[in-house]
Amino acid sequence: MTERRPNRTLGPNHDTFWSYCNRGEFRLQQCNTCQKLQWPPTPMCDDCLSDQFTWTPMSGKAKINTYCIFDRPYYKECPPPWEAMLVELDEGPLFMTNPKDFSVEGDGITRGTPVKVTFLDCEDDHGPFKLPVFELA
Amino acid sequence: MGYDLNRLRNVSGQVAVVGVGDTDYGKDYEAARQARQAGADETGELDSYGLGALAFRRALEDSGLKKSDIDGIVVGGPMVHQRMCEILGINPVWGDSGPSDLMVPQAVQAIASGACTTVALIYGNAQRSMGTRYGGGGIGPDQPTSYYYYHPWGWSSQGAHYAMMFKAHQLMYGSTEEQLGTVSRTIRNHAMLNDNAVMRTPITEEDYNNARYISRPLKIYDYCLVNDGGVALILTTKERAQDLPKPTVLVSGFGRATAEVDATQLRDRMFDLYHSVLKASSDQCFGMSGTTTKDVSHFQTYDAFSVHLPVNLEGFGFCKPGEGMEYIQDGRITIGGELPCNTSGGMLSESYMQSWNHQVEAVRQLRHEAGRRQVVGAQNSMYCHHGSGGAYSIMYSRGV
Repeated sequence: MTERRPNRTLGPNHDTFWSYCNRGEFRLQQCNTCQKLQWPPTPMCDDCLSDQFTWTPMSGKAKINTYCIFDRPYYKECPPPWEAMLVELDEGPLFMTNPKDFSVEGDGITRGTPVKVTFLDCEDDHGPFKLPVFELA
Repeated sequence: MGYDLNRLRNVSGQVAVVGVGDTDYGKDYEAARQARQAGADETGELDSYGLGALAFRRALEDSGLKKSDIDGIVVGGPMVHQRMCEILGINPVWGDSGPSDLMVPQAVQAIASGACTTVALIYGNAQRSMGTRYGGGGIGPDQPTSYYYYHPWGWSSQGAHYAMMFKAHQLMYGSTEEQLGTVSRTIRNHAMLNDNAVMRTPITEEDYNNARYISRPLKIYDYCLVNDGGVALILTTKERAQDLPKPTVLVSGFGRATAEVDATQLRDRMFDLYHSVLKASSDQCFGMSGTTTKDVSHFQTYDAFSVHLPVNLEGFGFCKPGEGMEYIQDGRITIGGELPCNTSGGMLSESYMQSWNHQVEAVRQLRHEAGRRQVVGAQNSMYCHHGSGGAYSIMYSRGV
């Protein structure tokens, strides 16, 4: 089933991220010179100012950092209670996402709980896409 | 690299705030509410420019200066600098636009350097009448990236930043919602001593505990108001200030430290709760003004959300990281307590003037004209803010 979601930010580099997602690949931009991983996509490495990047596959493994639950509706596509969480990828970057098949208020969920990436079939005004979300590891 | 404390000290105490003005927050809010109940729309009688202009005229009267004395203009809020100058009939030789955290120091530096002599800083925001939204799909790239980039995951709003930050504080330190409730309840008690505040009915512990969540773990009382209003400040040289009728209030220090790197990932916010930039900003401010936490009689903190207060007290060194929720208990932050905070009711209960009203309250306290909410013998008032990507501070001191 395809979920309707609010619009993505698209454009140079952002498009590349989403096209990998659409193939079921979770890749981030990595600087060819200093190897810093970038999120969100950027035109220039914020560490060494290089503009040469490789889209490096992530392991998809992460740990929960923090979370919140929206009880007020902010988007018609996302009815309350709507859960969101920030996860720390094993490779370092922090990634905003949603829990899949579990609640952040569930037993034993805390800072450090391991999770892994999976993809949801979604659609926005720009068309169908796959959205990276995280399930319990 | 970085600031030069020796040169900053030359600027400390050279510029004074000589005029403050604000609009009728409570009365305007009530009139709009009654209009809505009567079936009319909720639009106030003044737009952002009208609110700013009214606050300016009041600040000018308060200062004892003439309009022709103003040669610098700063504009804050959703207004265009040129239009505000045109409305007031002023051709400034210096000007700027931005938030109070940055603009008060900018105006001080402009006056201290000789670029101009007397600056009016004017904020106006008819945000309630305009239906301004602080979250959801309408937010775009004119805002910080974290405000809109996570739309596909259904995550937005300034409030969500603070809900996640409070959750991080809970997970790191075991702090509780009951502890956080002290912030909103104390600040509401302060607003009850301010006839101009929008919200003046007490919040009981029961009210707070039963309040609805907006973004869990934050409740409606943890969120600031959204109301119309205007604020103005007039700054001039210390020498000129001494010829004016009101007690002199000097800008003795300021500080700015940023954490823009990985700000969209919320890295410093969630791993560090901004403690590092808060400390750096306050170190600069204390160093420039020659003061320490012990010299602060009165603390005004940006309070778009209640959780700002304990986190800022931790970062500024009033207590240790993780101890802010304990620190604020037992009356310590009330008027008459060890460190009275947000004495006019702040943005949670007085008026959401995006911190401009905090500057006004600092001046009134140091002039000793705050009436029922006066902090006895106030000598130094510190202002503090952390927001997306940085921390800011200003020290105001009563002149001798």
